[in-house]
Amino acid sequence: MKAIAWLAGLATLLVGALYMVVSLNRWEWNRALFFGLIVLIAEVGLATALILRRIGQLAPRSDIDPAVLAALRDTRPPRPDRFAWLEPNQLNVFITFLVGGGVILSGVAWLVDRIAANTTTPAGEEQLARQLGPISYPRGGLLVDDVTVLAQAVPGCDDAQLRRLLRRSGQGGRA
Amino acid sequence: MKYVGAIVGLALAVIAVAMLRDATLSTHQEIDPDSRIELVLHVRTNSAEAGQTLDEMAEAQLLTCRLEVSSDPVSPLEDLGDGRFRVVLAPSMDETDQRQFRGCLEDWVIDHVTASVERLEPIG
Repeated sequence: MKAIAWLAGLATLLVGALYMVVSLNRWEWNRALFFGLIVLIAEVGLATALILRRIGQLAPRSDIDPAVLAALRDTRPPRPDRFAWLEPNQLNVFITFLVGGGVILSGVAWLVDRIAANTTTPAGEEQLARQLGPISYPRGGLLVDDVTVLAQAVPGCDDAQLRRLLRRSGQGGRA
Repeated sequence: MKYVGAIVGLALAVIAVAMLRDATLSTHQEIDPDSRIELVLHVRTNSAEAGQTLDEMAEAQLLTCRLEVSSDPVSPLEDLGDGRFRVVLAPSMDETDQRQFRGCLEDWVIDHVTASVERLEPIG
């Protein structure tokens, strides 16, 4: 049966190739394409069969003593149930999920905190600085220079323009 | 011995490819514009669509394939009976065009139609 299959595949390949060449020689392009497709299919089939046959030859021969094999199978250790925690009547699964969920949530929270620290903190600082501007002390401080102090201390000097001048000089600082 | 076989096989493959290239290469010659060529075509159908006659299919095959050459039909498609049709084209065709035209007519161009060229020869 295998020989018939091999012969059929090989004959298909050769006849397809022959007709493809003949069709090309006759300028019959559609026929040439069709036979080329047949050749390609046969080629892929034969190549696959060859590879499978070679793999079959490479496989180890089964010269195993059945008694030894049976003894090994009988003394096989029980397979450990590595997924016992998934049993519905076990509470370990909740602990596992809680711990795992906690780790994941902590990671997400850390990531959010890092992003917020790098984005909102500088912006908040700038906004606070702008808000503190109107209530900040005047530039140069509240102290006035000696001349202004002496001028203000002159007895009987109660002039509104002088007081305005003194306030302005007091805000201007000791330049 | 193994190398000799490989070399011989390679040489044969190269020769075969070269021959196929020559067989499919277009080499055109000057054609007298007043020359004519006669085509007799045998057309067969298989499981044709209802309402499509053999004449229509033969004409469709002819009109499709004449686009591959420089010649045009100068006479109506004459039904010779028994699936055979005759038409005259002008100008005539050189050897390459004749092979290309014959190959197209005998190729699988239109579904349900196969044709074979019975005569393709210059006339007059």
